[in-house]
Amino acid sequence: MSEKLTSRQLSKKITEEYMEEAFHAHEKGKLIGYSTAISPVELFVAHDIIPIYPENHSVANLTAKKGVELCSVVEGMGYTSHLCAYARSDFGYRKTGLTVTKGIPEPDLFLACNAQCFTLTKWFQVLSREGGAPVFVFDTPEYVMDKKAREEIVKYCVLQLKELISFLEEVTKKKFDYDRLKEVMKYSAQSSILYRKFLDMAQYKPSPISIFDALIGMAIAVYRRGTQECVDYYQTLCDEIQAKVDQGIGVLPKDKEKYRLYWENLPVWFKFSDHAKLLGSYGGVILTSLYVHAWSFEFDLDKDPLLTLAENYVSRFSNSTIEDRADMAMDLFKKYDMNGMIMFMNRSCKAVSFAVPTLKDILTKRTGIPALVFESDMGDQRFYAESQVRTRIEAYFETLDRLQASKSVA
Amino acid sequence: MWDNLSLKEVVEYANDPYPSIREWAKEKGKKVVGSTIADVPEEIVHAFGFLPVTLIGTQKPLKKAPAKLPDNACSLARSNLELVMSYEGDLFDGFVLPQVCDTTQHLSDIWRINFPDKYVESFLAPRQGDRPSAWYWVREEIKRLIASLSEWTGKTLKDEDLQESIKVFNENKALLKEIYEIKQKNPAAITNKEYFALIKLSMQVDKAELNKSIKKIKDSLDTKTKAEGYTDVIMVGITCDPPEIFDLFDEIKINIAGDTLVTGGRYLQGMVPEKGGPNEDLMSVFGPSPHVELFTQNGGPVDALTARHFRRGFFSPIHDDVLRNFEEVKALYKATNAKAVVYIHIEFCESEEYDLPDLKNMIRKEGIPMHVVDTEYQTTSLSHLRTRLQAFFESLKGGPL
Repeated sequence: MSEKLTSRQLSKKITEEYMEEAFHAHEKGKLIGYSTAISPVELFVAHDIIPIYPENHSVANLTAKKGVELCSVVEGMGYTSHLCAYARSDFGYRKTGLTVTKGIPEPDLFLACNAQCFTLTKWFQVLSREGGAPVFVFDTPEYVMDKKAREEIVKYCVLQLKELISFLEEVTKKKFDYDRLKEVMKYSAQSSILYRKFLDMAQYKPSPISIFDALIGMAIAVYRRGTQECVDYYQTLCDEIQAKVDQGIGVLPKDKEKYRLYWENLPVWFKFSDHAKLLGSYGGVILTSLYVHAWSFEFDLDKDPLLTLAENYVSRFSNSTIEDRADMAMDLFKKYDMNGMIMFMNRSCKAVSFAVPTLKDILTKRTGIPALVFESDMGDQRFYAESQVRTRIEAYFETLDRLQASKSVA
Repeated sequence: MWDNLSLKEVVEYANDPYPSIREWAKEKGKKVVGSTIADVPEEIVHAFGFLPVTLIGTQKPLKKAPAKLPDNACSLARSNLELVMSYEGDLFDGFVLPQVCDTTQHLSDIWRINFPDKYVESFLAPRQGDRPSAWYWVREEIKRLIASLSEWTGKTLKDEDLQESIKVFNENKALLKEIYEIKQKNPAAITNKEYFALIKLSMQVDKAELNKSIKKIKDSLDTKTKAEGYTDVIMVGITCDPPEIFDLFDEIKINIAGDTLVTGGRYLQGMVPEKGGPNEDLMSVFGPSPHVELFTQNGGPVDALTARHFRRGFFSPIHDDVLRNFEEVKALYKATNAKAVVYIHIEFCESEEYDLPDLKNMIRKEGIPMHVVDTEYQTTSLSHLRTRLQAFFESLKGGPL
């Protein structure tokens, strides 16, 4: 019997096999569907369409600090520097072929779900105009707080999922298999539960994971949900982290873990490891964000698959009201016992960021914890002011130190 | 208040309509409900007895809004928030705010949280427009808006009240269209600034009153004197601000003969079909959908308002097909025999910014001269704009102006 793979090895294997299959999709009679990261991709999986996420590919390039090079090319094509860095670097990749990966295969169709943002829809439309593949927009109106309105929103979303199925049948000339969907949903539900379990291990003190582990760990949930291998991966990951918990191993040693922090927004990808080191030097560890929780779905397998898909995708944090988003964050504050928050105003992501000032006001009021607010960009280094961010982080930890000292005196 | 205005007064009122709205509302004992663009069915708000006012920014300085919306947010969204936070908040009893793009995604939340004493409702327009579900959803949202206003006011909306509002609003658009036709044939009859001020004011004040002024203005326009030296262009975009931009056109006899602005031609496309009947245009979009059938067989005002939603032209945040935008622009260009297209781009409007490079290519490939004007609400100096526009118009007219 072969030795059991570690989560890291498993992730590498799953990713390689997935991309290998994607690059040879047509030879196997399969199509490539570009999808937004938050999208009912279970329908793709059930219909043998290989989902490809241009966002993930952009993340790889932006993390490798290729943002400026790729984005500059795109600005020369007439696009402004205000647009999402994911989109700009993707357009740049298509223009130049520059990538730190093997690239991604060309699409046969697009699925744009606007529960995360509207930008992806516009981005896919640009690609569609260029290559001619059709776009299906899965429109998810904001999940407003009124109960009756929510019922109607879900109905509208179910109607669209039926239209999506017809669209997929038309493109592939193949009948959709609802039994297969049920099977896919089973895997998606199982992996979602395990993924949440993994994220929630940040509750332990010291926390065995930081948000940086979560960001690496979420990749398989994003692109392989709906498969057995996704379930296996998260089971392995949970077992490994549990072993760390059992041994009392934290990101920081227990006596050094002073500040358990909440992060709002997507990460600054090209500063990923620098931020972890810098915060760690002050006894800070970022535990979680609503962003990484966006893929911890709660599918109800007793319900019609289309209904539970609609309910889950429409209610993501990015599509919820600011009040609901504050409640979601408050749940995390309580569950993970956090005592600090970093609110990142991400120029690239208007959909998430424009709510941040209001969200910050609510969260600081409800928790009594001050917030560090800084503005930059998740992928374009030209909008990152190193010394300014560093100074703000230092000042923030001084404030937290003072608060903690005054609390211990009191 | 607005029933006997001259064109000069129309321009003045359009520039700052709020003092007159405040006075009028007090005198009539009416409540005022604001909406941002686009596509909120204002007839419903009116039928409940409110004055619907479309918020189209303020030229006064930003003070409070930047703390709520960062500087890379659409300047119109920031300007509207400032208008209410700092300047005209007392005037409004409530707001109905559409969700159409990433900037507006959480805008109704921000407004609801910042104005806790006011009624704030969202209008969740579909961001897809060519499937039967879009029809279903618009109809549901219209019904939800009616239910929400009913709950707020304690009133039940009668079909005849809604039909009456539709009639007044349709009349307004029909009158504005007639003046547009006059303007197309005889640019000297009314300036660009005056004409677009008429539309803007129509979106902001009581239409029953303003219609009387528009009728008189229409009858007084000089349609006989032959206009000379004018060059026709098409204006494309969402809004055009500040209004002094129109002066730049007027000064050198550039006539806007057609446009796609939400505060222009696209607003005029929002006439509501007053009765059911064959709707070939809708059928061509949706096919034999049961929703379209419902309207064509026994459509009431809710179905009529739903139908109207799909009759309007391209709007970058909710429509995906730039080819459609291009076809609309091309059709206008040909129909009016215009000489160029001027695109008004609002800084930080992401939807426009994704569409624009391809639209530019399509228009230029067609051999149509095009110029893009970058605008921003709260702009104080137009000198840069003036130079660029003049250079473009010079090339268009074939020599120095």
